[in-house]
Amino acid sequence: MANLKEIQRQIKSVSNTQKTTRAMKLVSTAKLRRAEELAKRSRLFAQKTNQVIAEIASRIQCNKVGGIQSRCFVQNDAPKTIDIIFVTADKGLCGGFNMQTIKAVKRLMTEYKNKGVNIRVRGIGKKGVEYFTFNQVELLDAVKNLSSAPDMQRSSEFMARSIKDFNDGIVDAVYLVYNGYKNVITQELHVNRLLPVTIEDFDCEKASNSVLELEAHDEEKMLDSLIAKYAEYNMYYALIDSVAAEHSARMQAMDAATNNAKQMVKSLTVKFNKARQEAITTELIEIISGVESMK
Amino acid sequence: MDTLNLEVLTPNGSIFNGPVTTVTVPGEEGEFGVLSGHVALTTLLKAGVIDIIQESGKKESIVVNWGVVQVANNTVTVLVDGAVAIRGDSESDIAKALDEAKALISSVADSHAMIASVSARVESAAHSHMF
Repeated sequence: MANLKEIQRQIKSVSNTQKTTRAMKLVSTAKLRRAEELAKRSRLFAQKTNQVIAEIASRIQCNKVGGIQSRCFVQNDAPKTIDIIFVTADKGLCGGFNMQTIKAVKRLMTEYKNKGVNIRVRGIGKKGVEYFTFNQVELLDAVKNLSSAPDMQRSSEFMARSIKDFNDGIVDAVYLVYNGYKNVITQELHVNRLLPVTIEDFDCEKASNSVLELEAHDEEKMLDSLIAKYAEYNMYYALIDSVAAEHSARMQAMDAATNNAKQMVKSLTVKFNKARQEAITTELIEIISGVESMK
Repeated sequence: MDTLNLEVLTPNGSIFNGPVTTVTVPGEEGEFGVLSGHVALTTLLKAGVIDIIQESGKKESIVVNWGVVQVANNTVTVLVDGAVAIRGDSESDIAKALDEAKALISSVADSHAMIASVSARVESAAHSHMF
């Protein structure tokens, strides 16, 4: 009989867990919708910014003797120091979402370490920060509570430090690693180099044909301030994208958990019924053999 | 009157998109107005007010803290960091937008004169909305 009670307790416990995971899935679904909307709205800004930067850069590259001089565009094949910025979630229970990012960061670190490059790691998100702190990897910066509530101002302040060090020549490249949203069931890992900016090809023909007129007397100054905004904005977008991905990952993980719980309740119920049947049979045998012995 | 298309984009989405007859933007070298048929131009903006006159003659003001404006092919694209549109259905909405706009300006402007001049302009814009 003790066995029966034990199984009953287990069933109750599992179905309670199921309630929690189902609720978490619903919450994530709602939050995902909001995050997705935000990401969609903000993508337009990214497109336009890239367009303007490419246009101005091509113009300077093609019209100026010696091409573009800005440090933000010169490709450096042998960097001495690099910044790796990663974005993870503040909360767990979202499958392999955080671990994927962490693994990518570690891969990037080994790759550059082998080349003898000095690495500075800057982290956003409690989970990643905790992981690296636990593994005694030194973090230059650790920001918590930003990845769950993206904020333009805070992310700009965070990014400004990398931009400043880059412009001062302390850092030669800035990489950004985050897990982004692809669709409801897939996340996509992004390892982007923010600085120096990669421009696929300078479109000289378009630049000379275009009617673009620059008002600012110092084109490069304008470009530099635009690049800073571009990097800051990319940081912000990474946060938004990461939130959307986090919710979609959690949604999936919680859906799987709910299904597993359902399966478990099913098999436990079968076990419970078997045990009950066994108990009844034993009791019957006892009664019958008692009656037999009375005869 | 001929119109041109204006688009004001912030990292959080578009806050204005539609045909306008005139738009006045606070360029880094000074304020300038754009009418239909304006020559192509790309320049930086400083903190200030973008004044818009819509096709219907309705006026609208947007307060911005920094930005880039691109004029090309009768389209004006303004990319800004932070922006607050002075509009709303009720007085309390407008008053709220006004407070936000002032906070935005005082967070970036370095001189009191500038904050004062922008505040005065947005207030007058807000009044024209209310009455």
